[in-house]
Amino acid sequence: MSKEDNLNKNWKKDFPIEKQQATNVSRRDFAKFLTLVSGGLMVGSGLVTAKAYLYPKEEVLGEHFVCNKDEVPLGGTRAFVIEGSTIPYILIHLETGEFKAYEQKCTHLSCSVFYKPGTGVIHCPCHEGSFDAKTGNVLAGPPPRALPKLDVFFKDDAVYVRAVQEEKIAKL
Amino acid sequence: MSNFRRSQNQSNPNKLNAILSTLIFILILNVTMQIWLLYVALNNALDNNKEILIPAFVASLILFIIGISLLYYLPTGNRNIRK
Ligand code: FES
Repeated sequence: MSKEDNLNKNWKKDFPIEKQQATNVSRRDFAKFLTLVSGGLMVGSGLVTAKAYLYPKEEVLGEHFVCNKDEVPLGGTRAFVIEGSTIPYILIHLETGEFKAYEQKCTHLSCSVFYKPGTGVIHCPCHEGSFDAKTGNVLAGPPPRALPKLDVFFKDDAVYVRAVQEEKIAKL
Repeated sequence: MSNFRRSQNQSNPNKLNAILSTLIFILILNVTMQIWLLYVALNNALDNNKEILIPAFVASLILFIIGISLLYYLPTGNRNIRK
């Protein structure tokens, strides 16, 4: 059998579908699949919303003692956790003399961040993310959000932290 | 058996092609917007900004409904042309 014959007869016998129909079928399925994906994204969005409203992130309650002022030298840091929670925090004694407390988890992929003494920058080694040590805002790199922070205040020489109070007002 | 629709389709076979391509184009556009909405919603949820979540969900829902209703116009192809 010549190649011509094969092309003209057998091929069509084996696959008796019009060309236009064949393309229509697969693209129709593709369109349906896209709609399915669309539905999935809609459900995902709904779940995010439901999660945020039904199980809000728990706030830090009350005031918590961290350490004494003289335990952290200028430019030094100290890691701490708050009782009853597993979230790691760092307390930073900036070169300006201020104390700041941030969550130690990078907002990108949760690596732990550290303060680079003398620079005013909190650094994440995983993907070179940088945060401003004064505000927690992102300076460079992939992190999408600022580091969550705690308010620092003092009672005599003792350093205490509590949930940020004026955050809501500052955002508006 | 012949009818109006079928003879139309036979004389303009590219019409279905155009409809289908347009449909897929719009659907891809919708899905892109929904991905963006989900991304924004997630970032804001993690940042404790709740105001944006419900509007984002509603927008996503509307896009999905648009997609579903467009499926009504999905061409079924020219069946039985050879018979
Ligand atoms: S985890 Fe910190 S930059 Fe990626």
